[in-house]
Amino acid sequence: MPLDTSPLLGLEHVYWGILIVIYPYLSGLVAGSFIVGSLAKVFGAKKFEPLAKISVMVTLAFLLVAAMAPLADARQPSRFLELYSRPHVPYAPMGLFTLIWTTYVLLVLVETYFIFRVDNIYLATHAAGWRRTWHGWLTLGSRDTSDATQKRDHTVLVVLAAMGIFLAFAFHGYIGFIFGALKARYLWSNPLMMPLFIVSAIVSGIALMILAYVGIQGGLVGRKTLNRDILDGLTKLLMWVIFVDLFLDIVDLLNSGVSAYTSESVFEGFHTIFMGGPLTFMYWGLQLGCLILGMILTFFRRLRQSPLWASFTALIVLISVFAMRYDTVIGAQLQPKVSQGLVAYAVPWLGRDSVQTAVGIFGVVFVLLSLQLLLLPWESTWITAWAHGRDGMAKNEEVPQ
Amino acid sequence: MDNTNIPPASSSDTESERQHDEPLATRGAVVAKGVALGLGLAALSLGRQSGTAQASTSTGGPHLDPTENMSWEGWDNPQLQVSDGWEKWQTILNPEHLPIYHDQFARIDATHPKHHWVMVMDLRKCVGCQSCTVACKSENNVPLGVYRTWVDVYQEGQTVPNPAGDIVVDGQRYQMDVNVMNVPKICNHCDDPPCVEVCPVKATYKREDGIVLVDPEVCIGCGTCINACPYGARYMNPVSHTADKCTFCVERVDQGLLPACVMSCVGRARVFGDANDPQSEVSRLLADYPHVVRHAEFGTEPQVFYIGMSGEIATADDPSIQHMVFTYTSNANSTVAVR
Repeated sequence: MPLDTSPLLGLEHVYWGILIVIYPYLSGLVAGSFIVGSLAKVFGAKKFEPLAKISVMVTLAFLLVAAMAPLADARQPSRFLELYSRPHVPYAPMGLFTLIWTTYVLLVLVETYFIFRVDNIYLATHAAGWRRTWHGWLTLGSRDTSDATQKRDHTVLVVLAAMGIFLAFAFHGYIGFIFGALKARYLWSNPLMMPLFIVSAIVSGIALMILAYVGIQGGLVGRKTLNRDILDGLTKLLMWVIFVDLFLDIVDLLNSGVSAYTSESVFEGFHTIFMGGPLTFMYWGLQLGCLILGMILTFFRRLRQSPLWASFTALIVLISVFAMRYDTVIGAQLQPKVSQGLVAYAVPWLGRDSVQTAVGIFGVVFVLLSLQLLLLPWESTWITAWAHGRDGMAKNEEVPQ
Repeated sequence: MDNTNIPPASSSDTESERQHDEPLATRGAVVAKGVALGLGLAALSLGRQSGTAQASTSTGGPHLDPTENMSWEGWDNPQLQVSDGWEKWQTILNPEHLPIYHDQFARIDATHPKHHWVMVMDLRKCVGCQSCTVACKSENNVPLGVYRTWVDVYQEGQTVPNPAGDIVVDGQRYQMDVNVMNVPKICNHCDDPPCVEVCPVKATYKREDGIVLVDPEVCIGCGTCINACPYGARYMNPVSHTADKCTFCVERVDQGLLPACVMSCVGRARVFGDANDPQSEVSRLLADYPHVVRHAEFGTEPQVFYIGMSGEIATADDPSIQHMVFTYTSNANSTVAVR
């Protein structure tokens, strides 16, 4: 049987494949969902208060996994400790990213503690069995639920949210910089990368929160508990951020796609890849088309308030943002640096950098989110059920009738 | 100042084996690497020891035999666990413990280094025989499908109708009005290398004498440097799974030999030497002839100089400028039809 060396031949490869596509995608969802969760605290949008707990769980699940994608893409992932033991800061973009990510994880963990503290104390004192022990651990020994401590919690959460918003911008804006800093890739070396990434991160985060709200609150607790005002508000917010995102997309299009405004290399690359090239549909159909369709859907109040339509809007916006990540990460690498034509690339189904790994990473997000839903007191009716049983009676272990 | 290292008092001192300007925390990484590598090569060494009586086609185990291993990607690296000298990467890459730099490369000039190694490609003499490509592959154990140096074919001009021309096609006479040049390409060992600056773990560095190197025991294989190099000079080594590149044959240069590609160049088109020495051949060539570097617009200050190239290099099919017509290395996975 002849050796299949075709994936090896050639100087030019897409070295950063689908895993590096989902890396900014995941971290964008983190940054966006965190910002949505902080709306009530930092910007005084009290309407979104019920989203805070769902938001912090979604953020934590995606955040823990966000660093897994580039790690899975690295060929020597077992050496990850070097990122801490010999970081190349502030010179290497990826080196600083590690530190920002670590700070962010710590911040979200602290926020998780404070946001669930009172409920954990309640369960630690009222629930029975393993839940009593587990929620006791989560309180870290705290049993004080007085007004003063609750006020302190609120202050701490506001400060954390404000710092978190700064970190969200740093975290995701910085990912734009990881690409923008590589001057060898004509389509990456662009100061627009940071604002483009951060704004589309907020777009995707709001869309994710719509889906999470409808899916978690509506799906697990009950459709009737969905607050139409929150859906309406989130979708309206989505509309405004899409305006900004589209504006930046148009600026990018004008700066890359018009020969009079840009260098020949950027123009050549943009045209051969996105205008008649391999990613034409990905760019015009999915990245721009879905975004515009989503924006149009947000114009109608009835659609905004319908859980089904709001979810649909969110879904196509998420598709658009994924396409944006794909176009940016893969698209720029299709343009060869030292040879001719375009580099051929197709996402493999199985293997290290493949659809399989990408699905697995989203699977880990799903598992982490499910575990949090089961192990954290995020819903008041569930807390009551966990503490007293479904019939509202105090549940005592092994009490004979 | 912060990068100068005092030469070790005793060469047998084990601490002196790693003369990075790094904290000793890297030793932990080396140990971790050693454990991983040891596991990986355990089977191989067993196969080696028990199979010494095998035929000369033995490759040290079925996973290194191209007829048995479907994903064979070239010969394995030197066995790092055997005490034959190849296991000491720091000694191989930097035996004199020269100061190394990960950023702020302007500091190198301030130290007035003894040597500054550069290469001159004299395109008037290159015949495009690819001897350098082969010699490099052989010297450095470069796996299948990747290259540390290669020679591309460029041309300027086109085939034009000419009643006195010597080419007859369908009764029409043409004449080739074409300048062909073979352009050897290699890592430029830039004075301001973007690939070194973006490495998140300081695995790649620039030696004081100008050579840009990768430490294969530290590299995490993230690929940032490969994307950051404007010259496509870095690749992911499919055997070691780390970033890899031309080393100017550092182990030969440190012993006073020339790089393998220079030794094998039939036309003496490649000239290697010390730019700090005004009497060296490279210095005299650079003083006497106009020369350019590849992609000067990136501001990387390449240290591989080309004589006989106009500096206007492009891959666009434009007969009025020097443009690439063929590369032997990049067509298998690109959209360009093989011509």
